[in-house]
Amino acid sequence: MINSYGVRPSLIGRVLARGSVVRRLDWVIIACVVALGVISSLLIFSATRAQLIEQHQDPAAFLKKNLLNLAIGLVLGGLVTALDYRLLRAHAPILYALSCLGLIAVLSPLGATVNGAHAWILLGAGFQVEPSEFAKVALVVLLAMIVGEPRDGESRTGNSGPGLPDILLSLGLGGLPMALIMLEPDLGVTLTFGAIILGVLAVSGVRRLWLFGLTISAVLAAAAVVLLGVLKPYQIARFSAFLNPAADPRGAGYNAQQALIAIGSGGFFGTGLFHGEQTTGHFVPEQQTDFIFTVAGEELGFIGSAVIVLLLGILIWRGLRIATQAADLFGTLVATGVVVWLAFQTFENVGMTVGIMPITGLPLPLVSYGGSATFANMLGLGLLQAVHIRSRPG
Amino acid sequence: MAITRRDPVKRLNVGLLLIAFVLSLFAGRLVQLQGIQSAAYAHKALKQRLDILTLPAVRGAITDAQGFPFAMTVEAREVFADPAIIVPAQRPQIAQMLAPMLSMDQAKLLQLLAKPGQFSVLAHNVTPDRARMVMALGYTGISTIPEYRRVYPNDTLAANVIGFVNHSGAGGAGLESSLNKLLAGRSGKQTVEIGTNGQRIPMGEDQTIHPVPGRDVRLTLLRDLQYKAQTAITTQVAKTGAASGSVIVMDPRTGQILAMASAPTFDPNSPGNSQQAWQNRAVQETFEPGSTNKVITAAAVMEHGGVTPSTPFTVPYSIRKYDQPLHDAEFHKTYKLTFGGVLALSSNVGTMIASDRITGQQLYQTMRDFGYGQHSGAGLPGESAGLLAPPGQWSGTQRYTIAYGQGVSVTALQEASVYATIANKGVRVAPTIVAGTTDGHGNFVPAPEPKQRQVISAQTAEQITTMLEGVVSPEGTAPQAQIPPYRVAGKTGTAQKVNPSCHCYTGNDYTASFAGFAPADDPQLVVLVVLQNPVNGHYGGVVAAPVFRDVMSFALAARKIPPTGSTSPKIVIYAK
Repeated sequence: MINSYGVRPSLIGRVLARGSVVRRLDWVIIACVVALGVISSLLIFSATRAQLIEQHQDPAAFLKKNLLNLAIGLVLGGLVTALDYRLLRAHAPILYALSCLGLIAVLSPLGATVNGAHAWILLGAGFQVEPSEFAKVALVVLLAMIVGEPRDGESRTGNSGPGLPDILLSLGLGGLPMALIMLEPDLGVTLTFGAIILGVLAVSGVRRLWLFGLTISAVLAAAAVVLLGVLKPYQIARFSAFLNPAADPRGAGYNAQQALIAIGSGGFFGTGLFHGEQTTGHFVPEQQTDFIFTVAGEELGFIGSAVIVLLLGILIWRGLRIATQAADLFGTLVATGVVVWLAFQTFENVGMTVGIMPITGLPLPLVSYGGSATFANMLGLGLLQAVHIRSRPG
Repeated sequence: MAITRRDPVKRLNVGLLLIAFVLSLFAGRLVQLQGIQSAAYAHKALKQRLDILTLPAVRGAITDAQGFPFAMTVEAREVFADPAIIVPAQRPQIAQMLAPMLSMDQAKLLQLLAKPGQFSVLAHNVTPDRARMVMALGYTGISTIPEYRRVYPNDTLAANVIGFVNHSGAGGAGLESSLNKLLAGRSGKQTVEIGTNGQRIPMGEDQTIHPVPGRDVRLTLLRDLQYKAQTAITTQVAKTGAASGSVIVMDPRTGQILAMASAPTFDPNSPGNSQQAWQNRAVQETFEPGSTNKVITAAAVMEHGGVTPSTPFTVPYSIRKYDQPLHDAEFHKTYKLTFGGVLALSSNVGTMIASDRITGQQLYQTMRDFGYGQHSGAGLPGESAGLLAPPGQWSGTQRYTIAYGQGVSVTALQEASVYATIANKGVRVAPTIVAGTTDGHGNFVPAPEPKQRQVISAQTAEQITTMLEGVVSPEGTAPQAQIPPYRVAGKTGTAQKVNPSCHCYTGNDYTASFAGFAPADDPQLVVLVVLQNPVNGHYGGVVAAPVFRDVMSFALAARKIPPTGSTSPKIVIYAK
């Protein structure tokens, strides 16, 4: 390539040239991811260090694994970014089918139970994979494909959006993995799937009436699930503990209560990294995974917690911006799916740790420890970048 | 493009608003939690990190009169495990190493190491040396904490008086139980903060309530005398096949109990669960005293009936009272005895005839004055008051049988106190066993002075003493009790026991006893021996008197009491 001056620019020059792929990446997102990655690693180190020392293990074991997860995740995200996301449209059914197979495998004897949910497949050598995390990516792409453009023989006019067949197909194909995940059982992930389906359908332009109907039926379905006893006793206990955390402070309400104590005792500036008495005394269970936000709350105080919420907020805002600027409806819907997914998990996770949502096992995106979740989040962000670099200029 | 984009963008903007709303809700909640309510949560956090430890108080020692310990408290260690942080694969190795050090079964240890939870006690009462060895192994999850251990260094010695301490550290029997409040002291409290690695960091001094150690209790018992008494009664119980026996040694002038031993006994270091063996029979077991009781009848008839040691009585073998034939222990022709002779030969019939000179009420009152039917005052736990019915409730012949010690029941200590009163010239000094206590600063606080009371005149007491010397004379019933060159006064007792199965006297069950003091003209020691249901011989003079002689000779020598050098007055037994 030769520029207007007839000089062959250097490699760096070419990479940084106006309109180059690197220039077209959303660097705000990357900055947020890096910042969250650093914070996440420090918090995971702080949450696990004391216990590992006590067990005479490498105090940095979780820190190292998290850094490795982030590195692998960045590579996966980069690969997806480089890929033309429109190619995915053709392969969406395959991804979907693979995800469903994974979810079925979890329920087979191959699966392993962690914390009451039968959601993992052990790969040996200490590695395990959680198929439901990857299924989120497949679901986003599949939904975008179904409602993103009219299929052959279907005509859409004006702002009518997808018709009844597309909606039913979305609900049906989205409902299958939801049902499989509900069998694990993993209520949090099931709810995330529901949110993604609703979000993608909403943005795809379904009629307002449909939107209301779907929202109401989702609420009714949730109520039915509770009333018909589909939930496990511990899940119901978590809900009742949410309504009255002090009722059973040693039982189901324990997590909620301890999370509030840890966050509240942090105050405005926090106790300082590695100096949280509640954190190092492991009063809060699952602290490096679902309750990582309590470590930030105690050790980094309001400042640290607010920064994390802000970084995630910026990430979501950038994602929505990418959705509005996408080159096509498929891109818009893929970005929307990823945004709804990250936003819902952020809401639920932060919400449960600060006591305004009931407790379900969901990780905080990009902050909680967990290989599968980190990889899936990075794949999702990769999709956002892929949509972004191919968006309409301006 | 067929589809306009207006709709999705609008909805995405609605979504953005929704998300902004939720995120600001979170921000508000964080301000509430970490700003407004922060202090309350910080307080809650501190409170759940705090733990209150009990600081045990050192239990006071129980010693003999010279300070030798009967019961003492030594420091020990509790060895415990935190199974949660012990690597399961290491358990067998830990069990194998600890088993010999803790003198425990390896399998049992393995089981304790695998106990769920974070606290599993492996062993109590481990000596500090052993505990140090355990800790030197350096196993993660094995720790020790100090505790106190009650030790009885002389094993069975005075066990029936001292009692023992139960698993929770409180007195379970004997003085350990009745003086528990005094001995136990008051435990303290310490507030600790649970540190980041589970270690306990003591909070400031102002958060600590120091324990108040228990008081040391000094008894009036003498260790060597106690040992002699206990060995003698244990040996004799075995030799005579008796069910049980007791020995009491008292100082008649002070009322102090110098030895109090029972058989069977037990080792308070491992008390087992035989309530029978724990009993302090000297105060808990009651029996009909038999002829030893005749000294009270003698005192009563001499004080109220004008009888003197030389008063003559015509004594047949048998007399009828209330249509009941009552007779002496062995057949004899009717003879004429002095009152001194009645006592020396221990004639039941003679005693009954003499007792006709006083009223039942007078006899009853004299027995009350000597301490019958009431607690001795020594304050020993579980003490019985015996059984002495008032005259109004006596059945026909009871007025006469009581005169020779049947139809009334007493404890060995009550009986010993009767002889101590006679030895002390008629002044009854309530028996005591606690000499005093030592407070936290080492100051000895003596026990309150025992109650004293003139029960009979000194003259009567001295005359009875002389008659009791006749009992030990070659003509009397217990020459076995002689301890030349000392002058000894004493009385045998051979009482028929009520058989518990038929509630009648079968003539097979006896209480054999001997009570006496020496030197007779300057009494310094009283010894009472009682054996229940001896099989090989049953006369007090035969089975109990030798124990008396054994213990009394030792006591006289041990207390360095010289013979008085005087000679006993000649006792006239047969009246002219």
